[in-house]
Amino acid sequence: MDRNQLIKWLKAPAKMGHKYSLHAVYFCTGCGIIEVPPSITARWDAERFGVLPVATPRQANLFLITGYVSVKTLRAIIRTYEQMPEPKYSVGFGSCPINGGMYWDSYNTIKHLDKYIPIDGWIAGCMPRPEAIFVAVTHLWTLIDKDMADGYKRYRDHYQAYRANQEHALGKLEWPPLFSNETKS
Amino acid sequence: MQMIEMILSPLLALIIGIFFLGLSRKIMARIQWRYGPPITQPVIDVIRLFSQKSVSHGKLFNLGIIFSLAGSLVLVLFLPLAQICPLSGSGGMLVILYMMLLAPLGIALSGGESANPNTSIGISRKFILALGYEVPLLLILLALMTHYKTISIVHIVSIQQNTGWAFVSLPLLLSGIAYVLILPAILGIRPFEVVQASQEISSGPMAEYGGPFLALATIQHALSLFIGIALFVNLFLGGAGNLLIFFLKMLVVFVLVLFVNAALPRLRIEQAVKYLWRWPTLLAFIGMIIVLIVRR
Amino acid sequence: MSLELLLIIAFGGAIVTYLLGKISCRIREGFAVLISLSLVVMIACLYGENGTESIYFHFLGLPLIMRTNMLSWFFAMAVSALGALSVIFSLNYMKNRERTDFYYLMLLMVNASMLGIIFSGDLISFFIFWEMMSWSTFLLISYNRGPAVAAGLKYIIMSIIGSMAMLVGVLSLYATYETLNMATLAELIGSASSGYLLFLLIIFSIAFAIKNALMPLHTWLPAAYAEAPTPFNGVLSGMLTRMGMYGFLLIMYVIVGATRALNLGSGLFKFHYILAWLGAITIVIPTFIAILQDDAKKLLAWSAVGQGGYMIVGIAVGTNLGLSGGIFHTLNHAIYIVLLFMCVGAIQYRTGGERDLNSLGGFIKKMPFTFIGTLLGISGLVGIPLTNGFVSKWLIYKTLILEGYPFLAFAALIGTWGCILYCYKFIHHIFLGQLPGKYQNVQKAPFSMLLPMIILSFAILFFGILPGIPLKIIDTIGTSFGFKSMNVTIWGIASETGTLNTINIFAAVLIVSIIAWLMLKIGPKAVSVAQEDTYAAGAAIPKDKYHYTVDFYNPLYRMITPYLKDFIDAFYMKFAHWIQSLCNGTRRVYTGYVGNYVMYIVLFLALLIFIRLKWSL
Repeated sequence: MDRNQLIKWLKAPAKMGHKYSLHAVYFCTGCGIIEVPPSITARWDAERFGVLPVATPRQANLFLITGYVSVKTLRAIIRTYEQMPEPKYSVGFGSCPINGGMYWDSYNTIKHLDKYIPIDGWIAGCMPRPEAIFVAVTHLWTLIDKDMADGYKRYRDHYQAYRANQEHALGKLEWPPLFSNETKS
Repeated sequence: MQMIEMILSPLLALIIGIFFLGLSRKIMARIQWRYGPPITQPVIDVIRLFSQKSVSHGKLFNLGIIFSLAGSLVLVLFLPLAQICPLSGSGGMLVILYMMLLAPLGIALSGGESANPNTSIGISRKFILALGYEVPLLLILLALMTHYKTISIVHIVSIQQNTGWAFVSLPLLLSGIAYVLILPAILGIRPFEVVQASQEISSGPMAEYGGPFLALATIQHALSLFIGIALFVNLFLGGAGNLLIFFLKMLVVFVLVLFVNAALPRLRIEQAVKYLWRWPTLLAFIGMIIVLIVRR
Repeated sequence: MSLELLLIIAFGGAIVTYLLGKISCRIREGFAVLISLSLVVMIACLYGENGTESIYFHFLGLPLIMRTNMLSWFFAMAVSALGALSVIFSLNYMKNRERTDFYYLMLLMVNASMLGIIFSGDLISFFIFWEMMSWSTFLLISYNRGPAVAAGLKYIIMSIIGSMAMLVGVLSLYATYETLNMATLAELIGSASSGYLLFLLIIFSIAFAIKNALMPLHTWLPAAYAEAPTPFNGVLSGMLTRMGMYGFLLIMYVIVGATRALNLGSGLFKFHYILAWLGAITIVIPTFIAILQDDAKKLLAWSAVGQGGYMIVGIAVGTNLGLSGGIFHTLNHAIYIVLLFMCVGAIQYRTGGERDLNSLGGFIKKMPFTFIGTLLGISGLVGIPLTNGFVSKWLIYKTLILEGYPFLAFAALIGTWGCILYCYKFIHHIFLGQLPGKYQNVQKAPFSMLLPMIILSFAILFFGILPGIPLKIIDTIGTSFGFKSMNVTIWGIASETGTLNTINIFAAVLIVSIIAWLMLKIGPKAVSVAQEDTYAAGAAIPKDKYHYTVDFYNPLYRMITPYLKDFIDAFYMKFAHWIQSLCNGTRRVYTGYVGNYVMYIVLFLALLIFIRLKWSL
């Protein structure tokens, strides 16, 4: 650990903690999850970056949306994202969540995921290689450093709009709003 | 002096426990041909968790986890760490046995409040597993206490320092072997990792913890690792004269247990209990009878 | 204050309460509370009176004697206090039910006859009060009719068997020594042969073991506890069942005497050693049966059978620590089991009699005080340090280990670990988890129910942190039996083979909890969420029950159920059926037709004639 790092640790331990301990939700949203096993096991070993898959969203702060998002999955994605404790980061993995990818004309697929939950970064490609995950992680580190990974804040600020979009796509949602009106600031 | 010990011993336990957590991740990674996280990774995790905002399911959800951590911390005060044992004269081995209950009970109460089926399944597994390993463990501990004619753990340690380790003394050899066989179950690692089986029941009792709650649960887990190994070192490896030797003994035991953890898959809960009630219990039972014969 | 007056108030109060009930409910309830509270005060005033005897009646030329000493004061205090709390608890619970006059009469009658048993100084009045207690208990157990009558019958039949055994013992004592005064008997019995002593102990033990539900004579208890009215469960489980313990103490240590009782038999077949083993079996098997129960009251009933084993092991081991542990455990068990039954009663009162564990859940948010009571109750039951159950169990374990009975200690300890399983099941199924939709509007328990619960919860912590206060009293009981005095301080017990210091533990737990609480405060404040907001792999949770309760310890059930059939009960029932069919067979002879009877006579005469002719007698 060089001196620069040490000063950063002393200045903002919380931020450094968020950087180096990214626990990802173990949630297989689409076909892109096939790239995750090699990246967390012996071949690429994500744990050296502090990235570790955990069982429930309550314990996690990184959400990888790996691959296409069907309408049915969107419900679970929103629920999972809302259950993650703040601060939380979400990364769209593959071209499908960005713009629909090869499912661009499917009747049952969500095209632009960031209309429904805020996304902090995208990994383009179909499929992206596991190395791309690490590029994304290091990129996320710089974003966290510069306070630019602020998806969760955007979600809080524009919750009404997000909720309206979600209800537009899914109809009535079974759970109450995460934020009531007065917390909007 | 006692006040300093009171502060020193939980602090030491905490440091050693967290170090063991980091070490276990590193060693597991090396065994699996990975580079592994830095050894300070648990500390980073805990710092991250403390700065996260979490949800609470009610008063008991908060109190249970506090209760659990407090139980583990108090238990450390009863264990002799080399020569440090702040609460040596307050109840002995029997209090330690009961204090070992507090941590799982606290987690169980706290997790029960969260109304999550995964949590309830994990807790039910935890209690069944505890019943499973307590049968041989109680036989082993009773054999020890009967053999040394005391219920004070400090006396047990000091007798061993005069007459040699319990593990290599002939009447207690079988009990010692039985203890080794159930040690992974006490520590809750593979092949007995049924409670926090993250792939089956979403890490069981931990399913609803996030943020500071998970941080406390991690610290509690570190402490329980420490307690499980320190108890074994004290009871069967004769404790130690100074902290360094005590630490080295713990390290050796821990690394050996980690190899078991890395090599074996997870058992189902019934298989685990059947195993625990068969071979370790049989050995412990024979060990007890040998102790009784020697005593006469 | 004379004991006669006390008993007259106790019995008279019961009858007057019944008569007042014919005038007004409120007056009756007020009077019942007044009577039971005044009994507590009067008995408290008797503290320290020792050995005063008074003859109050002559029965067939035998003097009936009342006497008081430390042992009877201790038990009487517990009986009257718990009785008073049960009466207070009954006020709301029994409101708007039928035959309440009768209920109060019997409740006070049971309390009065228990006081009679405790204060009686001769065996004939002991026997009379014992029978009064059995019969009034039978009437109360059968109060709810239906299956309760069967449970009550089972109880009274076993009770009668016990009483008959006791009567044989009493008569044989009278035939030998021509007196039934306990104090005189204790002096005279020194000359008896060991065979006679063994006979006496066994014959009395049958009576007391049935009352104390010692295996294999426990079968009446689970059904009776489950069917009795819940406020009466407190009295039934707390003290009435433990009259068996009082009886054991009386026969073993007062009448026969410690030195003689502990030396009967040889080697492993000593009387007290076998009794201790029966106690150990009573700990283990009912504990595992309790894990299987889904009915809150049945679970507590089996747990009460199991806890009775600890007391028997404690007093049977025959050391000062064991004896104190056994007696102290009687008191502790009474406190927490009454509390737990009251909690079940409060839940039943608010949910309309629901006691099936699987259909409850989430009551912590609706009935927080009841929850705290239950939590302390199960802590005492498990014996978590700083609750009263811990101290008494510690005493029992310690003496078992140091006296070289590791297998008995193992049975006792494993009973505790099984106890955790059902205790957690009890609290989890009722109070934790998701609240079913139909109980959304449940209210807190009324004050008259909360008051006894709060008092008992306080008592659990008080005796847990300051065990020296009751242990001092128990120590004087032990020394009066001829045991060595323990070194009791107010914080615990000091000795060279292991000390117990509860205040140290208390201080450490308090400080460490505060530290842990501060650690939780470091982080940002947690947001409170509704019970529906829990992790379910992204799915939304249904409003109604989403809570894992049915077959909670399923893997364990599958393993232990085949071994835990209550075969003793099945054997007794088979025996009863056999007797019944035998009687039925006999009855078939009496058909009621004159012709048949004429035929019997003719056949009998023919037989006589045949015999006369054949052998020409």
